[in-house]
Amino acid sequence: MTAVTAIRREDLAPAPTQDLNGILHLLTCGSVDDGKSTLIGRLLWDASDLYDDQRETINRSSNAATGGAHPDFSLLLDGLVAEREQGITIDIAWRYFDTATRRFVVIDSPGHEQYTRNMASGASHADVAIMLVDARHGVKRQTRRHAAILDIVGVKRVVLAVNKMDLADWSQEKFRAIEADFRELTLRFGFREAIAIPVSAVGGDNVARKSEHMPWYTGPHLLEHLERIPPRDITPRGPFRMPVQTVLRDGLDFRGLAGTVASGYISVGDRVTDVLSGQSAHVLRIATMGRDLELAKQGQAVALQLDSDIDVARGATLSLTNNLPTVATQIEARLVWLWETPFDPASGYFLRTATDLAPISNIAIQSLLDLETLVARPSEKCGVNDIAIAAITLGRPVAVDAFADNQPTGAVLIVDAITGATVAGGVISTATKGDVANASAFKLTRELLERGLCRDLGDSDEDRREFQRRASEAALLLHAAGIPVKIEL
Amino acid sequence: MTAQLSHLDMLEAEAIFIFREAAAQFRKPVLMYSIGKDSTVLLHLARKAFWPQKPPFPLLHIDTTWKFKDMIAFRDKTVRDFGLELIVHTNEEGLKRGINPYDHSPSVYTDVMKTQPLKQALDKHGFDAAFGGARRDEESSRAKERVFSFRSPGHRWDPRRQRPEMWNLLNGRLGPGETVRVFPMSNWTERDVWRYIARESLEVVPLYFAARRPTITRNGQLLVVDDDRLPLLPGEVPQMKSVRFRTLGCWPLTAAVPSTAADLDSVVTETLGARTSERQGRLIDHDQAGAMERKKQEGYF
Ligand SMILES: Nc1nc2c(ncn2[C@@H]2O[C@H](COP(=O)(O)OP(=O)(O)O)[C@@H](O)[C@H]2O)c(=O)[nH]1
Repeated sequence: MTAVTAIRREDLAPAPTQDLNGILHLLTCGSVDDGKSTLIGRLLWDASDLYDDQRETINRSSNAATGGAHPDFSLLLDGLVAEREQGITIDIAWRYFDTATRRFVVIDSPGHEQYTRNMASGASHADVAIMLVDARHGVKRQTRRHAAILDIVGVKRVVLAVNKMDLADWSQEKFRAIEADFRELTLRFGFREAIAIPVSAVGGDNVARKSEHMPWYTGPHLLEHLERIPPRDITPRGPFRMPVQTVLRDGLDFRGLAGTVASGYISVGDRVTDVLSGQSAHVLRIATMGRDLELAKQGQAVALQLDSDIDVARGATLSLTNNLPTVATQIEARLVWLWETPFDPASGYFLRTATDLAPISNIAIQSLLDLETLVARPSEKCGVNDIAIAAITLGRPVAVDAFADNQPTGAVLIVDAITGATVAGGVISTATKGDVANASAFKLTRELLERGLCRDLGDSDEDRREFQRRASEAALLLHAAGIPVKIEL
Repeated sequence: MTAQLSHLDMLEAEAIFIFREAAAQFRKPVLMYSIGKDSTVLLHLARKAFWPQKPPFPLLHIDTTWKFKDMIAFRDKTVRDFGLELIVHTNEEGLKRGINPYDHSPSVYTDVMKTQPLKQALDKHGFDAAFGGARRDEESSRAKERVFSFRSPGHRWDPRRQRPEMWNLLNGRLGPGETVRVFPMSNWTERDVWRYIARESLEVVPLYFAARRPTITRNGQLLVVDDDRLPLLPGEVPQMKSVRFRTLGCWPLTAAVPSTAADLDSVVTETLGARTSERQGRLIDHDQAGAMERKKQEGYF
């Protein structure tokens, strides 16, 4: 057993009370045995401030596969008992480590084909994805699938870690060939940045230090590359959007629309609009506990107090008057089917947007995407791990954006009305206010609800929420009975 | 254009977002308050999320009757200072049966005095959502925990019923009989908790600070004797030592560490430079491999 020395922690540990420079969310994906766990374990070992008990565990282990020459770094990523017994990773696991300047969140996702859904959900949280391949095998079918999934859920930066270079004679030719395949592959997608790095995870080559075995490689090592990626919020991207989560009150003087800025930024004095109700008002105050802000940007959780009391509640999306989201009842989306139960046209579903939950009156699956060829094949069915292109008709309008224009307000979930399960995640390709399909639909109006089902409800916030809830449930029942329905409140 | 958000700013904003999502979607939430540093941070985040309102839910403390006296005093002061509603629940049946942390194995004790009463209290009050301060970095089986963690009827955690969580969309529509545990601090680390306590100047239980306390050494662990209920073994004589706690629970089950860090700054410095993870000080985790996962399936947290 060899004890592997780490970079001295004194050189790495951040000054005790210092805040770190943002958070980088890192997704790892690869086929089983490409060395994913070893790579991340090695990164933790070399570049982070592990605890002594963790180091001891690793030093005590020796890996049979490497003839005991190296500790088994993959042990740093041990998971559920069930998975250890099966010897595979079936769910996504979250790990955290700090380098001298930055918090890294490692989202570890399984590589198997049957786990497309896990990878997609893991990837939806990632700023950058590390795709692993074995240098002896190069880019595979699987790599192509992974790239396609990353692209669908909006990952913009990818790194190809060409691992086990020690088993490929540290060969530049082999690496360049794989790199060329990777270039060709990534060209088909909308990535902003794609680079390939030759590594050996067990030896730590080009993981957190430059490899002595590959002098021909002059690019950054993995950690160097990751540390250079700018954090998410440095320049708030996109138009201002703030989905309202809840309304906060304090006596008669304060009514704050609480939410997290999803994109862009907002200043005191700006005029904001709730596109669904068409109402506008100026921002009087951006309140947080402890202090008021002059400006709030993407990622900040605030409460906006407006200069006139417009009737806005959860589900509304505030935006600047000159750049509004779409008020949509027709949505075309790419769906990743996440649940074991396949799509059933007779079931009731909800569309979940940032903070809104609207009844769906129809989902028409149009095609399934073949992740290897990227060809869409006509289909009306859709089941677990499928990527489907679907046309969704809503019972009432929601405020959304196309995912390509603004990711935070262009992503949705499909929710099963009975079980509540999240059956699919979706990205909006187009959103339109198409009333055509709804022309013959039954109109569920405010009057209709008020005279019966909602007769007992008054004008309080709580009652209004309850009104919305009953309207949605009524729409679902009608839909389940085969009646196309449109809510007009 | 603006100062970059630090990682603590981002973690704080995320927790506030989660609190608001849960409060808006669930009918009757409660905050599981265990008095320790994680609960202190959790409560502070809850206050921020709903300020200037008070958090729209009560606190629930499962009292095993074996908490340090300082913890109970701190709990009552916190509730008073912030004007909060507190529900204290104890498994009276377990008390009657004399279940205690030294005669019974940690797993029996935890089940009877923590897991069962938690379920009892949640059922009794009809809470459909319970906020907890659990973090994914605490233990390997928690590394896969969701932010909204669903429980089947009977509070069982079934890995197959867990919903995928994509982007920051938190789906809180409950199925029949389901309840949920909500973890706003999922993405925090132990070090973040202390960094944040220092940044926000939060008051914590004094046991986190070093002081001379009566200690015994048992099975290689330093225990502080908080009252005379724990039978001492032959040769065990409490000795005054300067110690503090990295984690707080029932006193016979919580190991102290030798330390002279007597104020927040030195505790933070000591913690950020710590060489062993905090779960070493928590005796129940060493009980058996996969213990935490099993406890979770049974409904402990
Ligand atoms: N020779 C060599 N073996 C490696 C390297 N990286 C990983 N391995 C071995 O490949 C096997 C699979 O690694 P593991 O990290 O468990 O793969 P995972 O299934 O992708 O997580 C293990 O036996 C590792 O020791 C490497 O760079 N060189």
